[in-house]
Amino acid sequence: MGAPRRLARALLGSVLRLAPEESREWVLAMLRELDFIDGEWSALLWALGSTVAILGHAAKGWRKWITRRKDSEEGKMTSTGKKALGFASGALLALLLALSGVGLVQIITVLFPGLGLQHLHWPHFLGAIVIPEIIFVVSAILLWRKRTPVAAGILLMGIGIGIHVALHLAMR
Amino acid sequence: MKLRLSPQTLLVLDAFLEHADEWKYGYDLSRVTGLKSGTLYPILMRMAERNLLETQWEASEPGKPPRHMYRFTQEGLQFARANASAHAGGRLSEVALGLVEG
Repeated sequence: MGAPRRLARALLGSVLRLAPEESREWVLAMLRELDFIDGEWSALLWALGSTVAILGHAAKGWRKWITRRKDSEEGKMTSTGKKALGFASGALLALLLALSGVGLVQIITVLFPGLGLQHLHWPHFLGAIVIPEIIFVVSAILLWRKRTPVAAGILLMGIGIGIHVALHLAMR
Repeated sequence: MKLRLSPQTLLVLDAFLEHADEWKYGYDLSRVTGLKSGTLYPILMRMAERNLLETQWEASEPGKPPRHMYRFTQEGLQFARANASAHAGGRLSEVALGLVEG
């Protein structure tokens, strides 16, 4: 057995191990046919084509699974779990945005020391609180009708961050 | 459930209509149709999913690995014949009209 055929066999063997259950019968079928193919390179081409076919088949299965999951999740839009998830997503997004604002200002301060931002307070307020808070309010208003839990999460996190900053300033 | 009738699918249907009652192997179908495995097997998979093909593992001697075989179901044969008349002029139609026993 030459190297191309060995490679073909190894390739389809790996595909067989990794393939989803519903595709395995087909991979095995393709693997068995290798013994009947004349020519080493033809065997390798057969294995490559078979791998592509199985990838397509598996991808189709995954797409179906994702679509089913999406449909079932959409059906549960009104459930408490979905609302909680939406709220948590909104809060997390808001937190990430605020942290990004703080991080961005810090990065600009470090990368461009010539701007003298480390001595100024307003860029920090602007990047860490003013701009994110404006984004929170605008996005909460826009999302309120269609994604109320997400909007509520954003709004509450925005209020929380605002209070945190206010307390921080008051203590300084 | 419908099957998209691409030229490649018609070639496969054509190959199956040739001695429609006999079991066929993947590599033989590939040689007859000239289709590569990457094109042939997705068609076979779709046909099997739509119950147009039945599949079976060949009973083989000990030590010899079995081969996967394919044959039209009754539904598949009817589907191929119906499409043979819709695509009149090709070999598909000739076979469906006279040479295949059903």
